[in-house]
Amino acid sequence: MSSEIIADKKLVKFKWNDQVIEAPEGENLLQAALDNGIEVAHYCYHKGLPIAGVCRMCMVEQTPGPPRPFPSCNAIVAPEIAVRSDTPAVLEAVEWTLQFHLVNHPLDCPVCDQAGECGLQDYYMQHGQYNSAMEDQKVHKKKVQDIGRGVMLDAERCILCTRCTRFTEYVTGTYELGIVGRGDHAEITVHKELENDYAGNLVDICPVGALTSKDFRFKQRVWFLEDVATTCIGCETGCAVNISQNEVGVYRVLPKYDHEVNGHWICDDGRSIYKHVSGAGRLIGPLENKSNLFIPITESATANSLRGNSQKFILSASLTNEDYANFFSAFKGEKDHVALYRLPSMGKEFDGILKRSDKNANTRGAREAFAKAGMDHSETGLQDFLDNLNAQDVIYLVVPEIIYDEDHFMTLLKKINKAGKKVALTTTDNLQALDAFDYLLPLPTFLEKDGHLKNFQNRDRKLSAGRSYGASNRDIAFYANWLN
Amino acid sequence: MTEKFLFTAENKAKYAEYLTRYDDVESALLPVLHLAQEQNGWLSSAVVASISEMMNIPAIKIQQVISFYDMFYAHPMGKNIIQVCTNISCSMYGGRKLHGELLEHFQTENLQPTQDGQITIQKMECLGACEMAPCIRINNDYMGPITFESAVKKIKELS
Amino acid sequence: MTQDASSANYKDYTLLSYHHISDVHKLDIFSKAGGYETMKKCFAMGPETIKEEVKGSGLRGRGGAGFPTGVKWGFFSKDRTQKKYLVCNADESEPGTFKDRYLVEKCPHLLIEGMIISAWALGVDKGYIYIRGEFYHQAKILEEAIQEAYSAGYLGHNICGQDFKFDLYVHRGAGAYICGEETGLLSSLEGKKGQPKLKPPFPAIKGYRGYPTMINNVESLAAIPWIMRFGAPAYKKWGTEKSAGTKLFSISGDVKKPGVIEVPLGIPLREIIEDYCGGVKGGNLKAVIPGGSSAPILTAAESMLATMDYEDIAARGSMLGSGAIIVLNDTRSMGEVLKWTLEFYHHESCGQCTPCREGTGWLDKIFKRAENGHGQASDIDLLDKVAANMRGRTICALADAAAMPTQGMIKAFRGELLTFIEGQGQEERGRKR
Repeated sequence: MSSEIIADKKLVKFKWNDQVIEAPEGENLLQAALDNGIEVAHYCYHKGLPIAGVCRMCMVEQTPGPPRPFPSCNAIVAPEIAVRSDTPAVLEAVEWTLQFHLVNHPLDCPVCDQAGECGLQDYYMQHGQYNSAMEDQKVHKKKVQDIGRGVMLDAERCILCTRCTRFTEYVTGTYELGIVGRGDHAEITVHKELENDYAGNLVDICPVGALTSKDFRFKQRVWFLEDVATTCIGCETGCAVNISQNEVGVYRVLPKYDHEVNGHWICDDGRSIYKHVSGAGRLIGPLENKSNLFIPITESATANSLRGNSQKFILSASLTNEDYANFFSAFKGEKDHVALYRLPSMGKEFDGILKRSDKNANTRGAREAFAKAGMDHSETGLQDFLDNLNAQDVIYLVVPEIIYDEDHFMTLLKKINKAGKKVALTTTDNLQALDAFDYLLPLPTFLEKDGHLKNFQNRDRKLSAGRSYGASNRDIAFYANWLN
Repeated sequence: MTEKFLFTAENKAKYAEYLTRYDDVESALLPVLHLAQEQNGWLSSAVVASISEMMNIPAIKIQQVISFYDMFYAHPMGKNIIQVCTNISCSMYGGRKLHGELLEHFQTENLQPTQDGQITIQKMECLGACEMAPCIRINNDYMGPITFESAVKKIKELS
Repeated sequence: MTQDASSANYKDYTLLSYHHISDVHKLDIFSKAGGYETMKKCFAMGPETIKEEVKGSGLRGRGGAGFPTGVKWGFFSKDRTQKKYLVCNADESEPGTFKDRYLVEKCPHLLIEGMIISAWALGVDKGYIYIRGEFYHQAKILEEAIQEAYSAGYLGHNICGQDFKFDLYVHRGAGAYICGEETGLLSSLEGKKGQPKLKPPFPAIKGYRGYPTMINNVESLAAIPWIMRFGAPAYKKWGTEKSAGTKLFSISGDVKKPGVIEVPLGIPLREIIEDYCGGVKGGNLKAVIPGGSSAPILTAAESMLATMDYEDIAARGSMLGSGAIIVLNDTRSMGEVLKWTLEFYHHESCGQCTPCREGTGWLDKIFKRAENGHGQASDIDLLDKVAANMRGRTICALADAAAMPTQGMIKAFRGELLTFIEGQGQEERGRKR
């Protein structure tokens, strides 16, 4: 019973406070307000989950309508209604409901990761600002529980909005979370531990610091972070994400609502795609392998060592459409000097929610670009390419930013061993396998370039450049023809 | 070591009959829990796992239900349950005092089985028998108006 | 009054007509006394006729809300092919109430007859009697009576040769006051926690398992046979204009003869206490809770003037509710009574929505400040304010049920509550020295 916009319902006009709004008839009233940029305090309502109506914050009065304030999440748009969220009765209801929320809530703000994006903090500033009359002993519940899949539970902070229990019931159907007990001793609990692939979303939907990310825990205050709206490169789904970063580093990946592709969620694999971006292993320049120690070397020195041989390339299938186009524009070599390495499929073809087995972010873009350039993008093409490698060749291998199957990658590395010189075009140096290479040359990460990826729907998904944490000024197009 | 919980043959038949009363399986959960508790004394995790499997209801839902109701116990109970009403009419006629005296006499805490495992005493809200205040339930039987002495006597007579 | 020991007394009672008859829980005794005759006659009447009669009788829901039963039935779909349910609310957990227990343990067939007639009128083929878990023996009595009814062809297929089937089952609760709330009951019947559902939609539209469900109190359903036997005008001869008929009252506390009585609505409360219940016990009258613990308390003076009908008690700022009358003499401490009441609602809140979950807990704690040596006069004002702000903002009326008696007690006995708080504080401080 989630409130997706019903495309074929007729639009009607109604009033919210003094504003005239247009929304589909029968649409959820609260959602209609939110869609029109109106701020309505709420906790339990979430567009991607069934209605609960338990927090009692989203109160409004309506004429014609019920005789007293009611929650707008349990109402629908009808033509010519006049809805008010600013009457004294409503404001008092909201203030007191907030006060009730805070009766037993622990004042953990100084040590709580949610600070700065906390529903209680935010609404307190807007609707609270009262002198607390609560001098009594608060109810204590179990804190600091590692409930699996990188999620920490603090039952005391929980406001029992039921978003998380509804998530594991209706979105993943895995039923790990529930509420036991009655009254103010009701408590969120996990049956054994979280076992689904979407547990990270629980942290996002929790309005307070009851469910927090173990990965993000205590690492950074959110008001020091900026968000970059980009696309996940974890598989061919191409979920829209917001990645939080600042000058110190990158901290986390959050889903960005996208009606066409991922809705409200991302999978747990997508949560860790940021880790290599600002990690210690980022290349800030070319590196030369001297007895398995990587020493900085200049670009020109590298170029000199590699000049004169046949330059061959194995591209990854997670580069952008623009990367491929620019590469093939610049590349002047033989048609059989370029091949495509695709990460192997993993898991179910489609898990029914978001995850797909093709772990390459741009299979379609790569194949289209190869075909357009008259190049062979097939698996057999790659095998032929590898069979034909010899000591006269310099092989450039674009190292995928995220490698799920190291064995599969190692097999590839064994096969390029017979090349004379091996160059890894890579973002980081902290892969053991890179010891096989003579040189490491830097590429920007997905978070340091603009561009597009073609996802499973053949939609162009946008990558946006955020801050730079390493050498990000050389793309594959540069290396396509850099020695001439 | 958790033993698997299985219904006795007689209870299996009752279980099957309960299912016929409803148009879906989940509705039968409360009567099934009553049945399981009658057999097992309390609703252990083995019971939960077994019922979860039998009825195809996620274990967390069963856990929630057990924790919600005063008559379902997720911890071991004494052989007999002594419920003492402490609501208005019964408190007026000594129900709370009785509850405290029984706890002291049998040297136990509320909802904690006695040392010998014979009884558990439970503070309850209105039992719907206010005309016989103060009123208690010994297992399924209502008794009232009850005095401390007669309550102790009746409890001692239990097997 | 001489009464034939084996036939019903319809003249003086609409509900307890059979209660003087031994073993009337048995179908053959019940039938011999006149039971099930009305049911048989009802099959000849159209469903609409029955509904009109019930509406015309002015019967109001006897569980506590007092909503006109006939009007409630009117919200129900007339479609007889659609899946619908009839549920009897026998949860009876409102403190002070024991009338439904009294009715069904002696005369289960009256309820069954009432449900069969109702099912026929409403076009329902499946019904449940949701009875509180503690009523183990009463549940058994109902199960046995239902078996008898099946054997007699009054339940199941082709009832009395009609193209009508009705299956009826008993469903035991497991100890939760909130399961007496209509939609809390339905959630519990669905095998879940007894948490009330958001309204709208209302059960008549979307109830048990999402299907239209008519849910009525035991007493309301048990009144149907008499109404159908003697007609709406006869029923209205009792009671007042707005509160027609008779009602079962459960009286307990400081009276010489506690128990259940059936009297016409509108009877003076004084008459109930003094005549029916033998007068106040152990002291003089101090206060009366007229309709279960959710009903604001009446002072002795108010009690002597009150008549037991919905309007009079409402006009006095309280409610007739379930008709559970608790009488308090002048040895009783109102502070203690309020304390017990607040503990009750704290224990029973389902925890779903914030104002009730946190409010019931907070009220209990505020009033216990004194016990812990931290009480002050301003606690009463805070109690009143917190209670006031719980009302009208929750999914169900439990928050109101906690708030109203709190505010009522403060209004009627503020001075005594202040003394209670101060006294407690002194004791605690004294202990600490």
